[in-house]
Amino acid sequence: MDHYHAGVTLGISVGILAGLFVIVLLFKKKVLDMHFDERQERARGKAFQYGFFTLIITIYAYGVSDVMFGRWCDVLTGGAICLAISLCVFAVTCILKDAYLSLREKPRTVMTMFALISAVNLGLGGMYAFSGDLLENGVLTFRAVNPILGLATLVILVVYIVNYLLRSREEEAE
Amino acid sequence: MKNLRLKAARAALDLSQQQLADDVGVSRQTINAIEKGDYNPTIKLCIAICRRLGKTLDELFWES
Repeated sequence: MDHYHAGVTLGISVGILAGLFVIVLLFKKKVLDMHFDERQERARGKAFQYGFFTLIITIYAYGVSDVMFGRWCDVLTGGAICLAISLCVFAVTCILKDAYLSLREKPRTVMTMFALISAVNLGLGGMYAFSGDLLENGVLTFRAVNPILGLATLVILVVYIVNYLLRSREEEAE
Repeated sequence: MKNLRLKAARAALDLSQQQLADDVGVSRQTINAIEKGDYNPTIKLCIAICRRLGKTLDELFWES
């Protein structure tokens, strides 16, 4: 491994550790919470099942596409795409079943956090695209992981807001 | 099937879905789903709701 790739690996590892640290901190500050009621637990179980099967299908599809068309993206990026799609399936199922946020989480705080994560990652993606670092010889590089995650959080955010608005209207009608 | 008896018992005590949900430790959407008949609660939750509303299981959840 040369210095460049060692630096990249170290950077990604530090980034993941920093992310984990922030998540632990948010749990300690009670911004994030995992207390769900029985209906939510059941709905989340189903959503987890859908997410898991989606992960299997996307990994298979990614593998098949690599065999058929040759290498079109870095393995890290391919993994991130599979993970992002599965996460979206899990999150959207939870949102539609009113089981995404726990009893103690504040929707506004969590969604603001999602908007920030999305904006930062999509912004980084835009920067990489502008500097031409997203593609190398027609292959999507590991830098595409940022916009992929940004897009996934954006999808979750949009579905949450649309669902919230539609539910509010339905409840008003009732 | 809608659980109108639960809705009526809650309304009789002038409780909102959110208040009942907070008292029995579930989300408002869960109470809404029970009233609409979209979710069958466990016996534990049924008992908690009955205790809060001062009703018996038969009065709120037994289909006659």
